[in-house]
Amino acid sequence: MNEEFNWLEYSESVERAAAEAEENSGRRGLRRFLPGRPKLPRFPNILRRLKLPRLSRPRWPGLPSLPGLPRMPRLPGLRRKAQTQESVQPSTAELLGGQTNRPVEELDDRLRALRERSASGMMGAPPAPAPNQSLLDVDEVLVSPAFQQKPGGVISAVALTKAQQQQVEMLKDIVGGPLGTQESDGRRLPRPTSVFSLSALPRVLGTALLALFVSLPFVSSDFAEGELPPVEFDEDRNSATTFYNLLDNIARDDYILVAFEYGPAAAGELDMLAELLLRHIFAQRATPLIVSSNPIAVVHAQNIIREINRSLSDAHAPLTADEDYYLLRYLPGGALGLRELSENFGDIARVSARGQLTGLEFASLQEMTLMVLITDSAEDLRSWAEQVLPEVTDMQLLVATGFAAQPLAQAYADSVEGVMGPVYGMRDAYTYGEKLHANFSALDPSPPEQEPIVEPVQASDGADGATDSNAVSEPQIERDGPTALPAVSASPEATATSAATETSQPTSTSAPTDTPAPTATEATLLAVEVTSPQRVNIRRGPTTVDDVLALGYPGDLFEVLGTNGDGSWYQIALDNGLEGWVAAFLVEERVITASELAGEETNDSASLPRERAVMRLDFTFRLGKNQPRFYQAQAPAPGDRTELVLTRDRSQEVPRLQAMTLGTLAAVLVIVIGNLFYAARGLLRRRDSSGAR
Amino acid sequence: MGRGQGVGAFFSALVAFAVGVTVMLSLLLGDNPALFGDRPGSDELARRIALPGDVLLRLIVIFLALSIVIGIANLLFVHVSRLTSGKFYSAVLLASFGFTIYWYVTRRGDTSLLEAVQLPIESALAALLFVSLVHGSSRVMGKRNDIWGLLFVAVVVVVLLASLPLAELAPVKAWSDWLMRIPVSAGVRAMLLGIALGMVVTGVRAVLGQDRSYRG
Repeated sequence: MNEEFNWLEYSESVERAAAEAEENSGRRGLRRFLPGRPKLPRFPNILRRLKLPRLSRPRWPGLPSLPGLPRMPRLPGLRRKAQTQESVQPSTAELLGGQTNRPVEELDDRLRALRERSASGMMGAPPAPAPNQSLLDVDEVLVSPAFQQKPGGVISAVALTKAQQQQVEMLKDIVGGPLGTQESDGRRLPRPTSVFSLSALPRVLGTALLALFVSLPFVSSDFAEGELPPVEFDEDRNSATTFYNLLDNIARDDYILVAFEYGPAAAGELDMLAELLLRHIFAQRATPLIVSSNPIAVVHAQNIIREINRSLSDAHAPLTADEDYYLLRYLPGGALGLRELSENFGDIARVSARGQLTGLEFASLQEMTLMVLITDSAEDLRSWAEQVLPEVTDMQLLVATGFAAQPLAQAYADSVEGVMGPVYGMRDAYTYGEKLHANFSALDPSPPEQEPIVEPVQASDGADGATDSNAVSEPQIERDGPTALPAVSASPEATATSAATETSQPTSTSAPTDTPAPTATEATLLAVEVTSPQRVNIRRGPTTVDDVLALGYPGDLFEVLGTNGDGSWYQIALDNGLEGWVAAFLVEERVITASELAGEETNDSASLPRERAVMRLDFTFRLGKNQPRFYQAQAPAPGDRTELVLTRDRSQEVPRLQAMTLGTLAAVLVIVIGNLFYAARGLLRRRDSSGAR
Repeated sequence: MGRGQGVGAFFSALVAFAVGVTVMLSLLLGDNPALFGDRPGSDELARRIALPGDVLLRLIVIFLALSIVIGIANLLFVHVSRLTSGKFYSAVLLASFGFTIYWYVTRRGDTSLLEAVQLPIESALAALLFVSLVHGSSRVMGKRNDIWGLLFVAVVVVVLLASLPLAELAPVKAWSDWLMRIPVSAGVRAMLLGIALGMVVTGVRAVLGQDRSYRG
């Protein structure tokens, strides 16, 4: 076997020679080695660098000349200069040919051969046949392209200069020998393995096993394996619950910035989640503004909305672009495009993806209520967290990702203020969908699967026994008003008991003593009203590092459950059954009677400019933590918001989850069996080789 | 180095330096009016400082958008030239390009081509990637029969098993959670730090002219 060509040694020797020559010459660069380099005029430099087409030789010889096309104007001198410039591109042999500071005897064989070739005027001569020059260790991976010198091949169509031809020959020498069955030195060159050969059997079997396992759940439901995801996020997934709650608390006509940052390759994993999020936003009667730095994703988002429209009944008005939702123009430039989004949001929001004016007028991104990012790429998540999130204050970025980007998303959610989530993968999408479906089924007058959520009323004592369903069923109740309204107790005793019981857990509240005493016959409630001019965060705990559960808007009322130790935070009741904390300086205490409440409802609905006022008429009654509490579903609010959620096609969800489970199981089997086989074979070979010694 | 090239290199380095420093100062000072104190007119001063950076960044975005058009034109030219070599797939590409343009113009707003062609193809490629990854993972011990290969396989199996919704695998899920929470999280953060440091170093080198500027 011939001596193999050592690429590393060769490249190092070339670099060494060039460095020595540079040291000896005192001039920088390798161009000093060029003998007889033509003197080019200094200016115009830009014109010299123009790659003008070769007018003397047709670019595409096979194409007929097109009559009527204007000919390229002749620029005497410039084309020749450009050609000259191209023709003097040095090859390595030329560079070494100009090297005279080292005698030939000191050079190694390879460099000596190169210098001899340069000295012998090898410009037109074919290179000497190389020994086996496949790259060491990578010849199975890196295979040289099949250069063809015959007429009509790649080389003849590209019209190379002599210098370029030299470089191509050198590349062929370096990369390796011919392809196919030819053998240059007796060693057999790699060739593709046929799927019918015995060596391909493990690969074929593994692929068949994967395909079989993935396909079975779509054929029959008997092949179900494992449990379906839960209908509620696990206790340790507070961030996912927060994600849902924030989106569930947006108000009518809020603007939600939705970033579609995934392409068709991730559609199978993220389409379900994206559709759910859009349906949730539409059902809240908010308006999504869809942006993307991926042009295909914008079109894909439009298709998802089109699917939602198809699922709606004829009675439901279809969702209309530039009215119910906005597809904003594509953001080119990746991270720079996102930077422009955060800096010049008003300009971007004025133009739709079709180049038409949207009529939206925003001063800044701050006018969005929430931002939702749907992505399969950790890089996109990083760009959004770095370029967009710092430009807004007091706004949350809800992150929905694929499985691959989940680790980075979790790291951002754990450490960056404002990043919520992540909700990721198909299993989370299933849980989100079940939760959404259950909650909105409660609003439906004829729920398809689930009855309205009604917790039984259980009186804890005699006073509370007066609180029955009749006593509190007078006002209309709905599950999901964007804000919580206070409960009304049936009697003052009930209120007092409630307060005492509530405050025993955090600390006692002294509010009732500071406020006017209610009349003995009228129901009262201690509440706080949001007095901050901007929306406020309602958090899981009484610190600013706790997760944000919901948002409160100016004028919103919440039932007080207690305070923290120094009274700087109120514990309040939310309409969705959760309890949150709001900073005391953002709200003001109020004791509300039933009559005041009725009057306030009327006033609020008249004064609030947006239809959120209507939503605030939806009540949830809470009578304290240890008091009987119940939620009563009511007829749906005017409109058909439930249809936007309940008409979702869920027939393929379970088979897809089962296919994912079985596919993962098959993958584990293939990986384990394959590696056991190879490990055993390796051990046997080691034992044989040690025995031979 | 020729004298003309030297002048060109100096000029390009100068432009890169000027643009880089301008954008950097605009972003640093323009976003923080508080740096100028409470003196009257500090907001206006910050706004003026921020303006050149904003303009340059918007110009860059416009140029990047233009580069997409140039890329499409280059793609067409390359494949037209390959037609002479009898390249069948180049002909398919050009025909598809023309057909898509025709479809969009005549049936404006209809994106069924995306749903019917591109989405299935890319999804199928993603599925092929899954098969390839599984196949490659099954051969790890054949290529690298040592402790590191074993560690790789063990981690892959643990993470995959933990993703299965089987109650019997609860202990494995605890291991997987630890893997995702500690080593994976640490690795991700390390990569973020590395990317940030690399971007700073590359940016500084380009701005100072020690690295290739826009002239390549």
